[in-house]
Amino acid sequence: MALIEELNKLGVNTNEALQRFSGNSALYERMIGKFPAAAQGLEVLKFLEEGDYATALENAHTLKGVTGNLSLTPLYKGYTEIVNLLRANDPEKAKETLLELIPVQVNIIECIEKN
Amino acid sequence: MEKATILIVDDMEINRVLLANGFGDDYNIMEAENGEQAVKILDSGEKISAVLLDMMMPVMSGIDVLQHMNKNNSIKRIPVFIITAAEGEDILMAAYELGAVDVISKPFMMQFLKCRIGNVIELYRHRNDLEALVEEKANRLEIINKSMVEALANIIEFRDCESGEHVKRISGLTKILMTEISGMYSEYYLTTDEIEKVSTASILHDVGKIAIPDNILNKPGRLTKEEFEFMKLHTVKGCEILSNIPNIIDEDIYNYCYDICRHHHERWDGRGYPDGISGDDISIWAQVVAVVDVYDALISPRVYKSAYDHEVAVKMIYNGECGTFNPKVLKAFDKAIGKTGCFD
Repeated sequence: MALIEELNKLGVNTNEALQRFSGNSALYERMIGKFPAAAQGLEVLKFLEEGDYATALENAHTLKGVTGNLSLTPLYKGYTEIVNLLRANDPEKAKETLLELIPVQVNIIECIEKN
Repeated sequence: MEKATILIVDDMEINRVLLANGFGDDYNIMEAENGEQAVKILDSGEKISAVLLDMMMPVMSGIDVLQHMNKNNSIKRIPVFIITAAEGEDILMAAYELGAVDVISKPFMMQFLKCRIGNVIELYRHRNDLEALVEEKANRLEIINKSMVEALANIIEFRDCESGEHVKRISGLTKILMTEISGMYSEYYLTTDEIEKVSTASILHDVGKIAIPDNILNKPGRLTKEEFEFMKLHTVKGCEILSNIPNIIDEDIYNYCYDICRHHHERWDGRGYPDGISGDDISIWAQVVAVVDVYDALISPRVYKSAYDHEVAVKMIYNGECGTFNPKVLKAFDKAIGKTGCFD
């Protein structure tokens, strides 16, 4: 239960997520365990810096979906904003938002990897 | 009832597992990591009851999958739900236009999602079952129709004791000759369905013989002029009989029956009966039944004559001894039935 409690402290809405997983907490934790690799693989920042905004948008969009389904609420909110900014052709602001979001994401990933 | 199968298509394992977990108790689950895998599963003959489809995927996107399902028409049978983290409006509009039934946003509430998808699966299952039922009933109706026609024809056979299997042979020969004509002469616009119906309708060409008295119908010798005039009425009498029973025969077949019944003794030069019409004023099916009717009468024994050999019968037809026929019909007849090669 340590993971769930710590995630709650970081603003993750585990209650909502558990409902989505029909109360199967073992499965939820297993899927949470897959998030760090997924997030690192998608490298939104790298594509933003390279100016490949289409791929950055695609990947931010994917992360929005995944963080939403896992109820990683702070990250979901951040990626939603990044997707909106990229759609509105504002990559600079999107990058700023991402740079603010990264420490939050690092905290959550560290928490997941520790448990 | 057998469990329905849901195909989950998403490149992110986390999303697939979440959906599989939610639906796994009530449905069989199949998973695809991208559009290409999804299309393979859909084309494999696997019975899929619904597709939960992500839009942005490598290899083949959700839109590509929808386009594929439109090409092979499976979109009409299988409901597709777009599962999305809010795509641009243009993509969602394209998905709807390609037949997606609903768009579901991530993150979703699993309980609602199960209800929405479950309802649509049930609706489609019901609709697909109904379509199958209608098709089965239509087939059954066609069989009954054909049986009605055959039953009527059987009655004539009982009266006209010499013709025996004649009507069945006429139906078979009509089909052969009609098929040959449709291949040789596109101007007659004959379809397989039409040929089938004409072949069934030809069985009733002599239904009017029921109205001809025994002493004329089964007279061993040559008919007197008056008797022959009476015999000729079987064409008109047949139409009278048919017009009293229009509803027991399929409307299309009825029209062919009526036409064939009335005009299978007309001739190309206008010297036939009862109306004396000529050329292509006589329908092609009536022309076809006319020639195969003559052929079958020649090669069969009758109370007033013995059977002719095939070669003799064919020669008599070509020489105009049984009236004049459309040269195109004779050419097709020779290719399919006569086989003398004299028209090549």
